[in-house]
Amino acid sequence: MHSFIDRDLLSRLGSLPVESRVPMMGNVAGKHRSPHRGSSVEFAEYRKYVAGDDTRRLDWKVFARSDRFYIKEFEADTNLRAYFVVDASGSMEFEGAGEKKIEFARKIAASLSYLLVNQGDAAGLSICTDKLHLEVPPSRRAAHLERLFSTLAALEPEGPTGLLDALHTIAEKIAQRALVVILSDLFTDPAEFGDALQHLRFRKHDIAVFHLMDPQEVGFEFERPHRFVDLEDGTALVAEPSLIAAEYKTALREFLTAVRAKCSDASADYQLVTTDTPLEPLLREFLTARLSKTKK
Amino acid sequence: MTFLNTALLWGVLAASIPVIIHLINRRRHKTVKWAAMQFLLKATRESRGKKKLRHILILTCRALAIAALMFAAARPVVSGLLGWGGGAIDTVVLILDRSASMEIRPGDGLEPRRAIVLERIAEAMTSLGGARLVLIDSATGDPMEVPSPDVLPEISQTSATDTAADFPALVTRAAEYLAETPGRSEVWLASDLQATNWEASEERWAGARASILALPQPPAVRILALTGETAPNNSISLVGSRRAGDELVLDLQIVRDVAARGTANIPLTIQLDGASTTEMLTLPAQSLTFQQRLTLPPDSESGHGWVSIPADGNPRDNVAYFAYGPDRPVRTAIVAPRGEAASYLSLAAAPPGYGGQEAERIDPADATNLNTSELSAILWAAPMPTGSAANLVEDFVGDGGHVMFLPPGSATAPDATFLGAGWSEPEDAARGSFFILQDWNRGDGLLRDGLDGSPITADRLRSIRRQIPQGDALAPLARWEDGEVFLSRMVLDRGTAWFLGSLPDYTWSNLGDADVLLPAVQRLIAAGSERFDAGYISTVGARDAGLFGDETRTRLDDYGKPDPANAAHEAGVYRLGDRLLAVNRPSIEDDPEVLSRERLDELLEGANPTLLEQAGETGDRTLSRDVWRAFLIAMLLFLIGELLLCLPPRNNSAEAIPAAA
Repeated sequence: MHSFIDRDLLSRLGSLPVESRVPMMGNVAGKHRSPHRGSSVEFAEYRKYVAGDDTRRLDWKVFARSDRFYIKEFEADTNLRAYFVVDASGSMEFEGAGEKKIEFARKIAASLSYLLVNQGDAAGLSICTDKLHLEVPPSRRAAHLERLFSTLAALEPEGPTGLLDALHTIAEKIAQRALVVILSDLFTDPAEFGDALQHLRFRKHDIAVFHLMDPQEVGFEFERPHRFVDLEDGTALVAEPSLIAAEYKTALREFLTAVRAKCSDASADYQLVTTDTPLEPLLREFLTARLSKTKK
Repeated sequence: MTFLNTALLWGVLAASIPVIIHLINRRRHKTVKWAAMQFLLKATRESRGKKKLRHILILTCRALAIAALMFAAARPVVSGLLGWGGGAIDTVVLILDRSASMEIRPGDGLEPRRAIVLERIAEAMTSLGGARLVLIDSATGDPMEVPSPDVLPEISQTSATDTAADFPALVTRAAEYLAETPGRSEVWLASDLQATNWEASEERWAGARASILALPQPPAVRILALTGETAPNNSISLVGSRRAGDELVLDLQIVRDVAARGTANIPLTIQLDGASTTEMLTLPAQSLTFQQRLTLPPDSESGHGWVSIPADGNPRDNVAYFAYGPDRPVRTAIVAPRGEAASYLSLAAAPPGYGGQEAERIDPADATNLNTSELSAILWAAPMPTGSAANLVEDFVGDGGHVMFLPPGSATAPDATFLGAGWSEPEDAARGSFFILQDWNRGDGLLRDGLDGSPITADRLRSIRRQIPQGDALAPLARWEDGEVFLSRMVLDRGTAWFLGSLPDYTWSNLGDADVLLPAVQRLIAAGSERFDAGYISTVGARDAGLFGDETRTRLDDYGKPDPANAAHEAGVYRLGDRLLAVNRPSIEDDPEVLSRERLDELLEGANPTLLEQAGETGDRTLSRDVWRAFLIAMLLFLIGELLLCLPPRNNSAEAIPAAA
C-alpha cells in the first residue's frame, strides 16, 4: 500500500465522476460523450436519409406521418482516456512549508487515476524530467492501477524541467482525444508553456493544470541572509531576502498571471495549488467544477 | 570642537559594528535548496540599484547613530572661540584689555565687561583643557603664563586699571612671544574695541601684522569683542589745573551717557585736603566743560583732592584727581618799546586787582637778559628775536611757556624770523574804513568761546593798520574780512607761539578796548602758567607717573578701594618719593568711538581674525558649551531614519499574490 493512496478519501470521492469537458473518442462504450452518433439512449437529432445509411436507423413513425425518410441520431457514449503528465524535474523535490511538490503530485495523480479506472475509464502516466522520461499507456484494467502507483512511487525528481518538450511530444503522440492532466510547478517560460497548451488544445485534448507551489515559494518569508541553491542545476545565490522580497513577489505575481492567462487562452482547467492545501476539498472542487461544466 | 573624554573617542570605532554584523551575517547564511530560482534571480537583478542604496543608507544610519552616541559620551565641547574647526591647541595667548573703559557694565549686568569675559575665558579654557594659557595684559604688556584658568579672574594681572591700551604694541608682543614658543597656538584678544586704544591709523600695525604672519605657524586670531549695550554712564575728567594765588582753578569736563537726553542735575562731590563738599551741577547738554575754583586753605603750600560724580555704569571714570603745589607769582614779560601798546599789554597781563599777576616791560634791546624760568608768558611787540634772544624764547616755549608776537611796526627782515615765521609789511586800511574780524575759531585758541559758551566779541575789533603773520608752520585761527590772517599759532614742543596781527595802539586799532586783548592775554598767561602746575598732574602710564631711582609710591587719597598690588596702574593721588602727583586715567579712555569690523579686518589682514561679538553680554554666558545633547539628538534622528528606511514600501501590500487553491 503506497503512502500517497488514501483509501478513505477515495471512497468518499467515489460518488463523483471524473468528467471530460470535451467529447471523447474511444473504441469501447463508456459514460462519456462521443463526437460520433451512436446507439446510445440519448436522442441527439434528426437528419435526412442519404444513400448508404443503415436503414435500421430510419424513423418509420416520421416516415408514416410525413412520407420523408429521416434518420434518428443518438449521442454515442464512449470511454475517457486520461494522461497524467507529472513533472519530475529537480524543482519538484522542493520541500518548504508544505510537503514536497512531487509528493503532492503523486497524491493527485494516484487519486484521479483510481477514480477514472474505477468508473471504467483509462488512465495513463507520463513522467518528464529533462525530457519525456517515462510513459505508462492508459488502461482501464484495475491491475493497471498498481503499475501506475508503482511508477509514481518510484519517481525521483532531478535535473532541469523538460515539461514543454514532453507536452509537445504527448500532443503529437496521443491520437485520440484525451484528458491531459498536468502536474507541475511550471517553472518554465509562460509563453512557451502557452504554446505547448495550444498544441494540446489543437489536438482537441481536454487539459487540466495543477500548478503546484510550496507556500514558502509564494510567501518568500525568510529572516536572514540565505544561500539559495537551485534544485535543478545546482547554481547558488546568496541573498538578503528582506531586501528582495518585494521584487520576488512581483516577479512571481507576473509569472502566475501569465500562466493563468495562457491556460485560459488554451481553455485549460487551471488550479494553483500550494502543497499545504488539503487534498479532499481540492479534488472535490476540481471534480465538481468539471461536472458542472460538462452539463452545460 | 574638542572632547573632554578623548579616550572614549575610540568608541567611535563601534560605528563599524553594523557593517561587521552585516558582513558576518552574509557569511553565516543558511543554505536552502530552492526551486523558484528564476524569480530570485530576477528579484536580485532588480533590487541592485535602489534597494542596495537603501540598504547602504540603513547601514550608514546605524553606524552614524553609534558614532553619535560615542561622540556624545566623549563630552564634545564646542567653543565660540575655537569654532568647529578647532583641534588640539598648545598655547593660547590672551591679550586682555584692562583699560578703564573695560570696567563698564553691560546693560543688564552687575559685573564689568572685563570680569565677565575673564570668567568666560576661564570656563572655555577649563572645558577645552590641555592648552597653555599665556596672558599679556594691556597694563604691563608682559607675557605671563597662567597656571590654571580658574585663577584667571583672581590674579592681579587681570584686575581693573585706569590705564589705556596700546594694541599695536600688544599684538607685536604676542608675536614676539610666539616666535619663541613652538606648537599650535592661538591669539585671543579680549577688548571693547575702543578706537583710541586700537589706534587704527598707527603705522605700527603694519609691523604687528607682519610679525604675526611671519611666525612659522601663524596663529589663529580670535577677537572677543566686548561691545553692545552698556549701563548708563557719565564720566568726569580733569582738563586742566592751576593755582592762582589762594585759589585752585580746575578745568573739568563731564560727558553724559550717549543715550542721555535733556537737562540733568548731577551732584558734584569735591574733596580738598580731606574736606568734602557737594554741589549740584546742571548739565544742559551732552557734555559740559566748566571751571571750578576752589579756595585753598590759608597758608596752604600744597595739597590734593578729587572731584567725583555718583557711581554709574563705569566706576573708573567717576573721579578726577588733582594736586597743587606752592603759590607762584604769575609773571609776564612785555618785550616792547615804551609806548601805548606796551601800556595796554601790561594792563592786560596784570589787570589791577587781579590777584597775584605781575607784568614787566623789557626793552627789546635787553631781551637777552630775560629770566624766563619764572615767566608764564611773554608778549613780544618788537622785531622778531634773533640770535641768543631767539634761542632764549625758543627754549622758553619748548619748556611749556607761551609767547605772543605782535606787529613790530615794520617788515621783518628776511633773516629776522622766528622759527620761519615773520611779518608782512604794515598795511593801512583805506581811508574811512577798517579792518574788521569776520571769522575766528570759537572752539580753540585764544579767541575761543568761554566755558559757559559766551563768545568773545572779537567782531568789535576795528583796525586801521595791520601786519599779517607769515610762515608755513603757522596755523590760522582768526581772519580779517578780506581773508588775511589776524591770529595764528605755532605749537613748539610743550609750549606755543602766537601771532596777533595788530597792536593795542590808537594808530593801529581799538585792541586796547579789552574786548579781544584782555581775554586773549589772560588765556595765554593761564596756559603758560600750567607748566608750573603740570608737575602735579599726570596720567596713568605716563613716564612721570612711574618711580624714579629709589622712590616709593604711597597713595594719599581716600577715594574708592585702592588695590595696592595694582597701584602703578590705578589713578589717584600719590606721593612718589618727594613728589606729589595726581594721576588720572588717560582722557582717551572716555572716547566712545568703537573700531568698526571693516577697520578691524584691515588691521589684521592676512591673519583672518575671527570676531566673536557681544562676548561681554550677560545673556549668553558661554564661549564654549557641551554639545552632547546635540549628538544624542543626532543619534535619535539617525535611528528614526533607519526605522523609516526599514519600513516596507507601501505599494507592496497593494498587489497581492493571486490566491492559491
